[in-house]
Amino acid sequence: MQSKEAVVEDGEITSSVTVADSEFDEWNNFGDDDIMQQQYTIQADEAKKIPFVGDKEALSSLAAEYKSGSPILLEKIKVLDEQYAAIRRTRGDGNCFFRSFMFSYLEHIMECQDQAEVDRVQPNVEKSRKALQTLGYADLTFEDFFALFLEQLECVIQGKETSISHEELVIRSRDQSISDYVVMFFRFVTSAEIQMRTEFFEPFILGLTNSTVEQFCKLSVEPMGEESDHVHITALSDALGIPIRVVYLDRSSCDTGGGVSVNHHDFMPAAGDLPTACCSSEKNIPFITLLYRPGHYDILYPK
Amino acid sequence: MQASKARLFKEYHEVQREKTVDPDIQLVCDESNIFKWTAFIKGPSETPYEGGVFQLAFSVPEQYPLQPPQVRFLTKIFHPNVHFKTGEICLDILKNAWSPAWTLQSVCRAIIALMAHPEPDSPLNCDSGNLLRSGDVRGYQSMARMYTRLAAMPKKG
Repeated sequence: MQSKEAVVEDGEITSSVTVADSEFDEWNNFGDDDIMQQQYTIQADEAKKIPFVGDKEALSSLAAEYKSGSPILLEKIKVLDEQYAAIRRTRGDGNCFFRSFMFSYLEHIMECQDQAEVDRVQPNVEKSRKALQTLGYADLTFEDFFALFLEQLECVIQGKETSISHEELVIRSRDQSISDYVVMFFRFVTSAEIQMRTEFFEPFILGLTNSTVEQFCKLSVEPMGEESDHVHITALSDALGIPIRVVYLDRSSCDTGGGVSVNHHDFMPAAGDLPTACCSSEKNIPFITLLYRPGHYDILYPK
Repeated sequence: MQASKARLFKEYHEVQREKTVDPDIQLVCDESNIFKWTAFIKGPSETPYEGGVFQLAFSVPEQYPLQPPQVRFLTKIFHPNVHFKTGEICLDILKNAWSPAWTLQSVCRAIIALMAHPEPDSPLNCDSGNLLRSGDVRGYQSMARMYTRLAAMPKKG
């Protein structure tokens, strides 16, 4: 990939071709495979710094991060502090939205022993499977990811042979062979939803990139490490019928007269398919709350 | 490791089934190592590669299908996106656009499509890329055809 960029620089000067060719001999020895390997090494180094899913931390750790930061952010963190008890960080590897969603969702089902939600979501998972088949995806390309997600869904309900503890849920979320597979499951579900509702998503996608819906899914949804945007969140929330609250911590000023407020947006799937908010004190408040800072998602715990 | 093996076995069975469906691709798994595959693909018609059979070597990582397979041309080919010496292929789905939705079989199809539609703006073979970028389609085609005859067709006599 390196040689590709270098070539573009003097690509128009045909006389330099032979010179360029010999200059690139060193690059030629340094192939794309090496670059990929280097990328994997960097990812492995990053992995040592923060796990896929971190430990639950008091919200004060967020304030500590911005000690000398912008006054607006500090004000907003104070507001957050009133509403939220804790934060759980995820690794910034481009999968943070899906990873946060995964943990938050499974943890919710575990803590509330929400069998009703498990029963509710399963038909939606099957709908996604059918959608992928309709779209021409071969079963073997996605079935392992579906199976692994359904397995996790079963495991978090207690009283079975396969039941797992909260500690085990954390361990699994940090285990690449499980965590990445569940993330990939969500990517498949998201991609299927977008492609099944092309007309709805097309205008949003055209606003983000200049590609077709199919290209967008192939390049920005399905590959691991591709960051998520509103389009992804909307599609996933709709496909599984799970509301998601995203709280925005950025420098935009939201002074409403009575002081700074923090924006949030609730992604609400089509009505009639809402989970009955067991655990949550009020209906229609999403049980998944994510903190968005430009380019990254973490999990928030309401008080 | 187990997951990648299980997936590759599924692909293996699929390949056995599809053999008759896609006569342009012959995908063979190494008898002793499921992570090593070889493919023979037919050069697409109405291209300078027509009539040639090109051999590809697949090396599948343990993280497959989360990570892409490494694929190289073993048969010499004159193409803007294939390294002339190493056979390395510049194709986005083998790099950052990879996803588990691809299979070894569909990668072969993508490579055949790349043979028919070279991307001269991101060349691994600069000579080939420059011929196309300067508009010398005849020059590119005759070079590509010559190498197809030399390297990808059975020797006569």
